[in-house]
Amino acid sequence: MTNAQPLIQMKSVGKHFGNFQALKDINLSVSKGERIVVCGPSGSGKSTMIRCINRLERHDEGQIFIGEIELTDDLKDLNAVRREVGMVFQSFNLFPHMTIVKNLMLAQRLVRKTSKQEAHEVAMHYLERVKIPEQANKYPIQLSGGQQQRVAIARALCMKPEVMLFDEPTSALDPEMIHEVLDVMVDLAKDGMTMICVTHEMGFARSVADRVIFMDGGEILEQAPPEEFFGNPQRARTKLFLSQILQH
Amino acid sequence: MSFDLSLILDALPKMLMGIGLTFQLLILSGFLGLVLAILVMLMRISGTWWLSWPAQAYIYVLRGTPILVQIFIVYYGFPQLEFIRESFLWPVFRDPFGCAVVALTLNTAAYVSEILRGGVLGVDRGVLEAGEALGLSKSQRFIYLTTPIATRLALPAYGNDIISLLKSTALASTITLMEMTGIARTIVAQTYAPYEIFVSLAIVYMILTFLIQKLLARIERFLGRYTIRES
Amino acid sequence: MEALSGWWDDYFWGSVVVLQVFLASLVLMVIFGLIGAAAKLSSNRVAQKISGAYTVIFRGTPEILVILLLYFGSAITLTAIAQVFDPEIKFVDVPPFWAGTFAISLIVGSYATETFRGAFLGVKPGSIEAAYALGMSSVQVFFYVRVPEMWRLALPAFGNHMLSLVKDTALISIIGLNETLFVAKQAIATTGQPFTMYIVVGLIYLSVSTVITLTVMALEHYGNRHMRIAA
Repeated sequence: MTNAQPLIQMKSVGKHFGNFQALKDINLSVSKGERIVVCGPSGSGKSTMIRCINRLERHDEGQIFIGEIELTDDLKDLNAVRREVGMVFQSFNLFPHMTIVKNLMLAQRLVRKTSKQEAHEVAMHYLERVKIPEQANKYPIQLSGGQQQRVAIARALCMKPEVMLFDEPTSALDPEMIHEVLDVMVDLAKDGMTMICVTHEMGFARSVADRVIFMDGGEILEQAPPEEFFGNPQRARTKLFLSQILQH
Repeated sequence: MSFDLSLILDALPKMLMGIGLTFQLLILSGFLGLVLAILVMLMRISGTWWLSWPAQAYIYVLRGTPILVQIFIVYYGFPQLEFIRESFLWPVFRDPFGCAVVALTLNTAAYVSEILRGGVLGVDRGVLEAGEALGLSKSQRFIYLTTPIATRLALPAYGNDIISLLKSTALASTITLMEMTGIARTIVAQTYAPYEIFVSLAIVYMILTFLIQKLLARIERFLGRYTIRES
Repeated sequence: MEALSGWWDDYFWGSVVVLQVFLASLVLMVIFGLIGAAAKLSSNRVAQKISGAYTVIFRGTPEILVILLLYFGSAITLTAIAQVFDPEIKFVDVPPFWAGTFAISLIVGSYATETFRGAFLGVKPGSIEAAYALGMSSVQVFFYVRVPEMWRLALPAFGNHMLSLVKDTALISIIGLNETLFVAKQAIATTGQPFTMYIVVGLIYLSVSTVITLTVMALEHYGNRHMRIAA
C-alpha cells in the first residue's frame, strides 16, 4: 500500500488557544488506504489535530499538506481541499431544516455542481449503503441518534472524498446504537477508504486500524499497529490510559 | 354620565375609513423597514469597522430616542434644512404621509435589524461547521443554512415588532394624518365623548393585533414544521 | 445655535420632569407587573383571566390612545362625580403628569407581567425544593431564593421596559405635560428652528436612555458574577 505521495502530512504542527498549547510538534503521515485510530484522554488535542486537517482550526506552527497542497492563510481554493476531506462530527450536525435526502444533495449541487438528478441518485445510493433508504424524506429530528449519524456519514461520502475524518462519532450515542454506526465504519474500511478516526472504541481500533496513535497533552506519544499498541505499549502514560479504558 | 351606543355606531364607520391609511403606513413601513433592517444587519455583522460602526450608531440612536421625536424631526425639522428643501426627495418630506413612512421605516429597521441579528447568532454552530467541512463557501452557508434557520428563530420577536409598528401608526395622527386615531381625535373634539370613541377604537386595534398574531402563528407553524418529531 | 441660548433652563426643567415621570412610573410599573404576574401564576381562575385581559388590552392598544383615553376620560368622570357634589363645577382636571404616568405604567406593566411571570417560572425547582428541605419557611424561600434569582433572569427584559417608560414620556407631551418635547414646541414658536430644537430633545432622551442602559449592564454584570467566576 505504498503510494509515493502520502495523502496527508503534518510536519511539526503546533496550535495555541490563547495561552494554552493545544498541539505540540505534531508529525503525522497518512498514506492512501490507511486506517488510523487516534485515542487519548480528554483535552489531549485529538479533535484539534483532525480539525486542523480540514482547516476548521488554523494551525499556528508547522505545515500541513493535503496531497501536494499546503494549507495556508492565502490558500485560494480551500473548498477544493475540503471536497476531498470528509468529516463526521460527534453531534452529527445534520441540517435540521432539510429532509435527509436534501441534506445529502446540498453540497453535491453547490460544491461539486452536480445536477439535481445525479445528486439524488448518489444520495440514495449512499443512503442504501448506510442501510436507511426509507428515511430519505424525513427530517433529522425524526430519526434516532444512530440513524442521524449514519446519515451524516452518508452525507460526507456523497462528496466522494479521498479521506474521511471521524471526530468521536459514537460518543454522543446511546450504547445500543453504537454498533450500527461502527458497522458502517468497518464496512467503509473494508472498501479501502482512508480514515482517521478519533474514538474511544478500542474494539473498533483492534479490528480495523492499521495504526493506533496515542495523544496526551497535545503531543503524539506513541503510534503503532494495534497488536503492538495494545499488546506491548511502550510509554507509561499509554499503559495508564489503556488500563483505565480497557477495564470493562 | 351615560354610555352612548348610538354615538359609537355613528363614529365607527368614520374611524374605519382611516383603516386604509393605517394599513398603508403599516405595510409600506414594514416592508421598507425590513429591507433596510437586512442591510443594516449585514453591515453590523460584516466584521469591517467602517460598516459595522455606522450600523451600530444608527441602531443606538434610533432605539434610544422616542419615535414621536423622530417623527417630529422628519416632519417639522427637515424642512428647516436647505439641502432637504432643494433635493429631489423634497416631495416626500413635504408630505405628512411621506414623513410618517420615513420615520416609521427608520425606527422599525433599527429594532428589526437587531432581531434578525439575534436569529443569525442563534443558528447552531455545528450546523455551520458541517457546511464548512463539506466545502460550502461563506455565502453559500449564509444563504442555504443561516438564512432559513435564522428566519424561523427571529419570527416571534419580529411578529412583536410588527404589532408595535401597528400601534406606532397611531402617532401619525400627530402630524395631521387622518388614519384611525386621527379621525377618532377629531370626533372626540366635537362630541366630548372620549370613552365611547377611544374604547371602541382600542377594540378595533385589539382585533387587528389579534388577527396579525393569528397570521404569524400560522407562519411560525409552517416554518417550524421540521422541529416536530411526529410526522 | 444662538437660538438655543434662552432655552437651556427650560430644557433643563423639562428633563427634570422626564426623570420625575420615569421614577413615578417605574414604581407603578413594577407594582402592576408583579400583581399581574402573581395573578397569572396563582391557581385562581378569575385572577388569571383578569390578568390575561390586562395584558391583551394594554399590549394591543396604541400607547397614545391609552394616554388620551385616561386623560380625557378621567376628566369627564371626575367632573361628573364632582358635579354630583357641587353642580357649579364646570370641569375637573387630572394633571397630565399623573394621567400620563398612570397610563404608561399600565402599558409597560402589562409587558412586565409577562417578564416577571417568565422569570418566576425560570427559577430552578430544585433550588426551591432544597430550601424547603433545609427547613426554610415559605416567606424565607420567597425572599431569599425566588426573588434574587427572578431578578437576575428578568433584568435584561426589565431594562428594556425601563427604556420604554423613558421614551413613552415624550407621548405625554401631547396632553400638555411640560417635558422636553413640549418645551421644544414652545421654543420653535419663537425661534422658528424646529430641526435644532427637536434634535436637542432627541439628545436629551438619548442621554437618559444611555444612562439607563449602562446601569442595567452594570447590574447584569453584578448579578451574573457567580456565573463568570466559574467560566
